[in-house]
Amino acid sequence: MKDFMALYQNLVERCFNNCCNDFTSKALSTKEEFCINSCSDKFLKHSERVGLRFAEQNAEMMARGAQR
Amino acid sequence: MSFFGAGTQQRGPAGAPDQARLGEAAMELEAVSDLFNRIVSSCHAKCISTRYAEPEINKGEGVCIDRCVAKYFSANEKVQERLQNAQKQGGGVGGL
Repeated sequence: MKDFMALYQNLVERCFNNCCNDFTSKALSTKEEFCINSCSDKFLKHSERVGLRFAEQNAEMMARGAQR
Repeated sequence: MSFFGAGTQQRGPAGAPDQARLGEAAMELEAVSDLFNRIVSSCHAKCISTRYAEPEINKGEGVCIDRCVAKYFSANEKVQERLQNAQKQGGGVGGL
């Protein structure tokens, strides 16, 4: 649960810092909204892919360790 | 560094898992989790363009991520080796 909260807060900060730079208005512009949506989607997909490769590399490493 | 079960599990007299082993496993889980988060963060900084032009990961970014993870693991192993050698030679790194 704590991990999920950390992930969520991290993501919000990351996307906000990157996408929201125009403070002439209080509301999110369409461009900013699109950017935030892309940012979150991309990060989650990235995280998923890293997870896959991580598991592969981990398995390889354990197999190598077992061989020694 | 063993990630989950590169050794046999030892059991106490009544068949209950050793407390020390549980502690070790908890520490290892935390280490793996920490490693994963660092890799996600580092590879995102290195591979994903911050323009966020599209919500999908394009082919170039995908390939970059794959290579990034592999390299991170290799770097991890290398540093581990160096650290172990340094510890053997120096007789301990400041009481670690």
